[in-house]
Amino acid sequence: MVQYAEPVRRARRSRRAEEAASVAVRLDWLLVGATAGLVAFGLWAISGITRHDIPGDPDHYVVRQAVFAGIGLVALVAMVAVDPRRFAHVRRALYGALLGLLVLVLVAGAAVRGSRRWIDLGFLQFQPSEFGKLLLVLFLAAFLAERGRRVAEAGAVATAVALTALPAVLVFVEPDFGTALVYLAILAGTLFVAGTRWLHLGVLGSLGVLGAVGLIWLLPAAGVTVLKPYQYERITAFADRAGASPDTTYNVEQSITAIGAGGLDGRGVAGATQTNLDYLPEHATDFVFASLAEQRGFLGASMLLLLYLLLLWRGLRIVSMAGDAFSAIAAGGILVGLLFSIFINVGMTMGIAPITGIPLPFVSVGGSSLVANLAAVGVLLAIHARAPRRGFR
Amino acid sequence: MASTTRSPSHRFLPPDPRVAEPYRLTPQVAFRLAVLGMILLAVFAVLFLRLWALQILSGPQYLQAAQNNQLRTIRLQAPRGPILDRNGNVLVGNTVGHSVQIWPADLPEKGRYQMLKRLSQILNVPVGEMAQEIAKRKDDPLSPVTVKRDVRKDKVIYIGEHEDELPGVAVVKTWLRTYPHDTLAAQILGHVGEVTEDQVEANPTFWPGDEIGQGGVESSFDGYLRGSPGIARMRVDSLGRPRSSIVPAQLAQAGNAIRLTLDAKLQQAAEESLRFGIALAHQNEEWYADGGAVVALDPRDGQILALASDPTFQPSLYVGHASRQELAPLTDDKVAASENFPALNRAVAGLYPPGSTFKPVTALAAIQEGIVSPWQTLSCTGSYQSPHDEGPVKQTFRNWDPYVNKGMALSTALSESCDTYFYQLGDAFFGLPPERGHPLQGWASRFGFGQRTGVDVGPELEGLLPTPEWRDKTFTRKTDPCCWQVDRLWKPGDSVQLAIGQKDLLVTPLQMARFFALVANGGRLVTPYLVASAEQPGQNGAPSRTLQRFAPVPPQQIPLDGQGLEAVRDGLYRATHDPYGTSSRTFGAYPIPIAGKTGTAEKYSSEVGRMLDQSWWCGYGPSANPELVVCVVIENGGHGSSAAAPAALKVFERYFGIASEGPIQYTESD
Repeated sequence: MVQYAEPVRRARRSRRAEEAASVAVRLDWLLVGATAGLVAFGLWAISGITRHDIPGDPDHYVVRQAVFAGIGLVALVAMVAVDPRRFAHVRRALYGALLGLLVLVLVAGAAVRGSRRWIDLGFLQFQPSEFGKLLLVLFLAAFLAERGRRVAEAGAVATAVALTALPAVLVFVEPDFGTALVYLAILAGTLFVAGTRWLHLGVLGSLGVLGAVGLIWLLPAAGVTVLKPYQYERITAFADRAGASPDTTYNVEQSITAIGAGGLDGRGVAGATQTNLDYLPEHATDFVFASLAEQRGFLGASMLLLLYLLLLWRGLRIVSMAGDAFSAIAAGGILVGLLFSIFINVGMTMGIAPITGIPLPFVSVGGSSLVANLAAVGVLLAIHARAPRRGFR
Repeated sequence: MASTTRSPSHRFLPPDPRVAEPYRLTPQVAFRLAVLGMILLAVFAVLFLRLWALQILSGPQYLQAAQNNQLRTIRLQAPRGPILDRNGNVLVGNTVGHSVQIWPADLPEKGRYQMLKRLSQILNVPVGEMAQEIAKRKDDPLSPVTVKRDVRKDKVIYIGEHEDELPGVAVVKTWLRTYPHDTLAAQILGHVGEVTEDQVEANPTFWPGDEIGQGGVESSFDGYLRGSPGIARMRVDSLGRPRSSIVPAQLAQAGNAIRLTLDAKLQQAAEESLRFGIALAHQNEEWYADGGAVVALDPRDGQILALASDPTFQPSLYVGHASRQELAPLTDDKVAASENFPALNRAVAGLYPPGSTFKPVTALAAIQEGIVSPWQTLSCTGSYQSPHDEGPVKQTFRNWDPYVNKGMALSTALSESCDTYFYQLGDAFFGLPPERGHPLQGWASRFGFGQRTGVDVGPELEGLLPTPEWRDKTFTRKTDPCCWQVDRLWKPGDSVQLAIGQKDLLVTPLQMARFFALVANGGRLVTPYLVASAEQPGQNGAPSRTLQRFAPVPPQQIPLDGQGLEAVRDGLYRATHDPYGTSSRTFGAYPIPIAGKTGTAEKYSSEVGRMLDQSWWCGYGPSANPELVVCVVIENGGHGSSAAAPAALKVFERYFGIASEGPIQYTESD
């Protein structure tokens, strides 16, 4: 045995090297380009948007963001190098890690503006719920892929819902309503791609609508408050702008004004008064799209949207190419998660979606979000690289 | 679903769930991906369309909105017009100062109280007052609240250095009122203050925070003085901190000047004479003497040359943010009472019984009604009882000089101020048949008593001219439960005492001066006035342009018997020149002939609990061709001859520019 071990190891090593080479060859270079474009565009946007935020240090945020982009690149490469199917084997560990992190942040998290979303690591702050999205996608994909045809059964769907509800509630109580919604979107995406019956999807959708109605109208009427007043106001303000308090509509109005004022080619970095004079709140994070639209105009904002479209199209293509159920479901979950985040964030800044604190993928200032999103793209690339050579290319 | 479409092995073996079927893209999954792709396209279509609508279709409107967002419109206070005396001396001017404002909309939600507390320590304004002011503007958070005017330079610099820690706090340049003559004419000038809510509501041109005249000339002629504010724009960030210099859009237009008929020097003399009169009263052990008024007017047309009231105050107290404590003597009734109402303009709103200064009114009325002729002699005795008195014990009315017992004609009775002579006239009025009405009150009313003089600076009081009807109306079961049935009757004593200006009669010093002007000018009732004209100040030393001259109401000729008027004038001259004249010690030796009447009017003081003498002197000079009427009242000052008369002489001295030789002399007589 001993004398055979070395050749076996050698053979395994050479196979890995081969595999690595083939992965490199079979990367989806358009997806790589879209991602690189988004990161670069995001850094460029942030550098303009945050120029006047810290007097005397105009590059503070962009430098930090670039560092995180570097870390994200490492994460991306790491995810490409790993065969994603391996995650399916460790799905319990993934789920355990997800719950562990979310509990940890509630116990040891640093409270910022009333929310416990971050774990302070001293040199940087780490937001577990962002990484949780990827963990959730991988876990759900593994869970649903393992169920195989049984995903058509109500029991499997109910289990998946329950398993998602737990982390979603943990995120919701941080409180981070937006990210909790993203978790639900990921659930919907994975169930959809996994082949859950339309009936079940319909029931879940109806339950979601009923839940929203209950959350917004019935429970408050019954005197039970689940949503914090500001969350409630933000959501109802979206539906009823005229009836909302001026404090709530202020952000959206300033955001719409900023976007509109950008016009075709933007007001430039110096001329973007909504951003520079702080009329636009959170202009580097939640409302970054409005700032971008103000500074770079319709051309800049469209450019960003087109990059997103490119990325999501490639994602969709990868779902269709995946060689196994796990890969397909995981890619679908990532795709829907990103689509949901982009729509809610951009829609919110334009007044067509409720205000929830969802960061804009690849652009909003925030290390955890950027690194997690790059890692997710890494998973997509890995799936693409290992997809069977068939179908159109 | 999958099992229904592909179940080749159904017949032989049940599908083993542990054996994974090879994954492939089933048509079902492909369909779902197509759905997903369509959702993707739909989402992006929506986002693009919305972006297009906002940026391209409505871009210009939003650009406008963004530009307005950061532009804050500021009202630039116009420099208020100055108030000048008749010779152009500035009584009220302007200077530039700094004021600290709070923009309520920009105050932080959290830590607002701490910030206000800090500001309060810097400015020395109580937090409570600031919070109250801000609360008042709750409905209008976009106009600033001025918390303090006239802020010291070092504090302005401090606030500037800490602007980041004081969001919503702004320092602006402002015009402040200055008073070069200190307390001079304080009650006439009034002051400038922020508009009240009611004033904003009443006048749409006022904005909260505007400074307008409050009281006195500042208020009555605010329209001329205020000017029109300019409008400027300034870029601010979302915390309201200025991010650009102030760009004027419409220049402020300075207010116009108001020229008074007042002579600053004579006003000064009048105010000094009041203090001199009060000091004299104190010398004479009239310790309660604590106030008074002087009116000096031109009897020919009613121009007021001096209008003094004592005690007085510093109008500059209102400049800046005066603390409530400092302003309490002017605004708080209780404190004002303890300081004897410094804000009250006693010359137009102080009510006193006129005492003997009213005797010329009785004299003229009696002559006009044929009750007495100028040469008729009546006996002047130490006391008097009315034959009309039907009570069991007749009321005795005393003469101020109990030892006199001689016959007197009208002019002597005036000169020596014989009370019993006038008691008889009063009794005669009482005894007139009812169809003749109440001619004494009728004539007093024609001479301007019991009604406002119409002076252009108020608030003015009309006083009280008692009549039988007034008595009947005033004393009812309700107001006077014990004795209303007696008190509502007009009794001989009422007529008797009215004849010497006592009991219920109340007059203002200005009414009295107006009557003496009528005596001086031969029977014409003038309307006193204080504001001569509104002028536009000339630029760069050019002469100012008169915008409007406030023409006085023409004097009203009262038909009077010439000989009667002459007798009264003679009596007034003899009062200041005859050996027995009541104020001849004071005026007899003065080179310019002055004529006038003393008065010692008893007024009940609720504080002291007994009658106190109000010291009066009213008269004019030169007696043959009068140019100036002076009326002085010293509250609780004792005899008219010993306090008011010497004070009045001081005013004449300044007017004619001739001092009397040696110290001013006086006697103690009615």
